[in-house]
Amino acid sequence: MTARPAALAVLWVAAGAGLASALAPIRGLASFQGGLLHPVLVPAHVLTLAALGLLISQQPHRERTALLVVFAAALCAGIGAIMTAAVFTAGTLVLLAVGAIAGLLVARARPVPLLLVAPLAAAAGVALAFDSVPHEISIAATLHALAGTAIGAALTVTFVACTMADLQRAWLHIAVRIVGSWSAASAILVLALRLAR
Amino acid sequence: MRGPIGRIIGWLAVTIVLTAPAAAHTGGVAGGFAGGIAHPFFGPDHVVAMFAVGLWGAFLGAPAIFLLPIVFPLVMAAGGALGILGIPLPAVETGIAVSAAVLGLMVALAANPPLWVAALLVGIFAVFHGHAHGAELPPGADAVAYSIGFVIATGLLHLLGIAFGLLARWPAGRIAVRAAGGTIALAGLIFLSRMA
Repeated sequence: MTARPAALAVLWVAAGAGLASALAPIRGLASFQGGLLHPVLVPAHVLTLAALGLLISQQPHRERTALLVVFAAALCAGIGAIMTAAVFTAGTLVLLAVGAIAGLLVARARPVPLLLVAPLAAAAGVALAFDSVPHEISIAATLHALAGTAIGAALTVTFVACTMADLQRAWLHIAVRIVGSWSAASAILVLALRLAR
Repeated sequence: MRGPIGRIIGWLAVTIVLTAPAAAHTGGVAGGFAGGIAHPFFGPDHVVAMFAVGLWGAFLGAPAIFLLPIVFPLVMAAGGALGILGIPLPAVETGIAVSAAVLGLMVALAANPPLWVAALLVGIFAVFHGHAHGAELPPGADAVAYSIGFVIATGLLHLLGIAFGLLARWPAGRIAVRAAGGTIALAGLIFLSRMA
């Protein structure tokens, strides 16, 4: 089985199983499951992950793999920092900024240097981890939830990047640019709203 | 159906099925997204101008047909940011009415200026539209969901205009498209006259 169908299968199972989340016979499963779905249920996270995935899909193949590894490593680093009681309250702002920049670069549809995209992926990974910390539950449950979030986020970005990298038709490339533009526009509006408050 | 289109349709179908229970929820994220989707349709001046952008893009052909829907939301967001931050812009409503009149006239007259001129014109009008929308962002609803819904609705109006504008491939369709442009221009003049 290739990476994309496997990622889709995992997301499908997790989402479908979520409907029965009232029953959690295995300790920690509810936290992990909730964490797994968290990145695709929070609008700011969805926007950023989609824009980042599309940006990665526009990069050369070798760089795509490296960027996905950078993102996953950043997620792990963020979780590690959280476990040491580090606090960072601007996670949403950073995510929206990454979403805006990534969306603009996707709309531009030109190759972007790895040294520019890698920091975006790293910032998104760390910010996503800090922005996904559950409130008022045990350390073990927090770790389960964050582990699920990391896996869900990594799978989402990987799926978007791999799927959109194989587009053959010209109109699909245009559609990707339009989605990038819409993502950036949404992120800019929300950033302005947050700064105004 | 095979290939990327089939995969995308399949993915959309999965998403729609899984999110069906969300239809019972009207507050929070769901309410914010629904409010954002609906917002552009509350102003007929916005609707006709967004339709005219897509119409003119299709009339001009490539690359305008896809550059205008890419550029417009971005510039609109910049104008929206100005509105949100309270930076004043003079005569916003007049600018919106003028956009409908001018863009409709461009289509009716089959104007074919250089791409940079068309993009500049559309960009200027996008600032006015964005400023008006930005000042109207509701504080209660989920801001991200609202913005996504609002940007998508604007984009869909563009796509409607593009779809209609593709009729210009045929002689009769070209007449219909120019007539639509004339109607939009007339609507813009009516909006302007109501402000006088």
